Amino acid sequence: MAEIVLDSVTKQYPDGAVAVRDVDIEIADGEFIILVGPSGCGKSTTLNMIAGLEDITSGELRIGGERVNERAPKDRDIAMVFQSYALYPHMTVKENMAFPLRLAKVDDTTVEKKVRDAAEILDLTQHLDRKPSNLSGGQRQRVAMGRAIVRSPKAFLMDEPLSNLDAKLRVQMRTSVSRLQKRLGTTTVYVTHDQTEAMTLGDRVVVMRGGAVQQVGAPQFLYDNPANLFVAGFIGSPAMNFVPAALEDNVLRSALGDVPLTDRVRGLLEGADAPREVIMGLRPEHFEDARLVDEAVRAKGVTFTNQVDVLESMGSDKFAYFSLQGEQATSAELAELAADAGSADVPGGGVSLVARIAATSTAVAGEPADIWFDADKVQLFDPGNGRNLTYRG
Amino acid sequence: MAGIGGAVTTGRKARWTVLNILVVAYALVPVLWIVSLSFKTKETLADGNFIPRAWTLDNYKAIFSTTEFVRALVNSIGIALIATAVAVVFGTMAAYAIARLDFPGKRLLVGVSLLIAMFPQISLVSPLFEIERTLGLFDTWPGLILPYITFALPLAIYTLSAFFREIPWELEKAAKMDGATPGQAFRRVIAPLAAPGVFTTAILVFIFCWNDFLFAISLTSTEASRTVPVALSFFTGSSQFEDPTGSIAAAAVVITIPIVLFVLFFQRRIVAGLTSGAVKG
Repeated sequence: MAEIVLDSVTKQYPDGAVAVRDVDIEIADGEFIILVGPSGCGKSTTLNMIAGLEDITSGELRIGGERVNERAPKDRDIAMVFQSYALYPHMTVKENMAFPLRLAKVDDTTVEKKVRDAAEILDLTQHLDRKPSNLSGGQRQRVAMGRAIVRSPKAFLMDEPLSNLDAKLRVQMRTSVSRLQKRLGTTTVYVTHDQTEAMTLGDRVVVMRGGAVQQVGAPQFLYDNPANLFVAGFIGSPAMNFVPAALEDNVLRSALGDVPLTDRVRGLLEGADAPREVIMGLRPEHFEDARLVDEAVRAKGVTFTNQVDVLESMGSDKFAYFSLQGEQATSAELAELAADAGSADVPGGGVSLVARIAATSTAVAGEPADIWFDADKVQLFDPGNGRNLTYRG
Repeated sequence: MAGIGGAVTTGRKARWTVLNILVVAYALVPVLWIVSLSFKTKETLADGNFIPRAWTLDNYKAIFSTTEFVRALVNSIGIALIATAVAVVFGTMAAYAIARLDFPGKRLLVGVSLLIAMFPQISLVSPLFEIERTLGLFDTWPGLILPYITFALPLAIYTLSAFFREIPWELEKAAKMDGATPGQAFRRVIAPLAAPGVFTTAILVFIFCWNDFLFAISLTSTEASRTVPVALSFFTGSSQFEDPTGSIAAAAVVITIPIVLFVLFFQRRIVAGLTSGAVKG
């Protein structure tokens, strides 16, 4: 058990490409931290540098207070779970899990005991003599976890450990990973591209983009207070809606109508040096079917009428999709997010919008509906550099 | 051979059986013919019967009673085994480097080794002869082992690097994370997984060395290093009027046996290695 400190760690390849730039993260002892971001953001490189599988170009990595930049992976006392599980195919489950202990020259009785204990925790006892090729995906995943925990290392590193599982098993394994980490209390660094895993698993989340850290914080804080457009668009599913708006005295003019600036928003904007043209961000859950909103509450927000393109009922609530007339919000961050989601070249003029409304709503697809949103929950971003102008840091 | 499990119809099975028998028979008739010849007595050698009418072991007794053949057999086994061992060890290391590492001159190395493999061996015989005579390697074991290694290495490197490339790199990273030194990772994780490839390569290299005639006849002159294929060509009857066919047939059968054993022995390992693998994580 130990804390891990990355002190302006940088990775530059011989061809000059910078994979990770000046990353500063302090991971407390026993903390579960998530590195999240789209593919190519440097999260796996960062993990590999902590593991020792890739060299650190500059900066310092400290584990338990000691500089470990120059140490081989085996001397760092950390265990890693790989995306492909990387189980040794010629060894049985038992031999796989015992491998790190055998290398550490632990005596046979201790090896036996530790493997039994780990197998019990992971519910693998009846599979100990099988080969990995005869196991299901979930079982292989658990063997990989088992191999990591037998050694009681200082830290666990996990590189997208659940991404090869099917959706249902992934949810199930997510909770068991979380439970296991709580039970063992071992410092864990977990890499994923799935924002749901990031939100649900971690004590803190590190959002990365293009090799640089965008924001570090507790999942809920990141969700409520994204530092920039990228974090705002990446965290949350469905993603935050972005609408271009013009900032005028006490009012935002947008395709959704004129939005009055509430005291909170005005307070945050002061000193933020906001440009005139901004991007307005609205979470889907801050919308509601106007007919279900009290008069008193309705006055605090804005109501607009638009045709519902698609209505998805999730049972507990409904997702309504709209297309608004007008310009789409544009910025480098949003373009990158769209490219990562694979929706960059989906044709569709205007602004598309998702609203999460109550299941009792009577809105019908193809018909116009009155939709209300909370003006106080509006977040404003600078389209030039993506900065959140209403950030409460 | 018979296709997929129990879903095969009898008609299809029969067709496959006939086809298999045809192929096997076509391949084995010359071999059986030489076996048959080796058991025939001198008198019945040329009678044209496939199954000998009079059986005898005289031919075998004859070849093993001459030092000429026994000595050649020892040479063949020794030279082929040493050349195979050296080629496989160096080939394994070179192939691992080519498959895993990025080093300057890698493409050149691969290109040159391909060039060696394609070179017509006959064009090298005269220079090799001169070189070996000058260096005193002519008619010695190393005089044959060295060219064999040279020509077997490209083959070994090619087959082995294909095998190494199939082993996921993550296994090696996992071994490192589990506390293995690079050496331990290679010995305990990579080598066992590459074993089928190593055995396949060993068989191919051994067969190449065992069957070689060109180098063996050009670079040897006495029993000191003459291998069996060459010794066979020097066989004569006990008098010049005697036909050595029977002895040649017996010797041919004898030198086929090690190859068959070698393949059968390692084939098991290959199949075992492949099925226990399931390399995909």
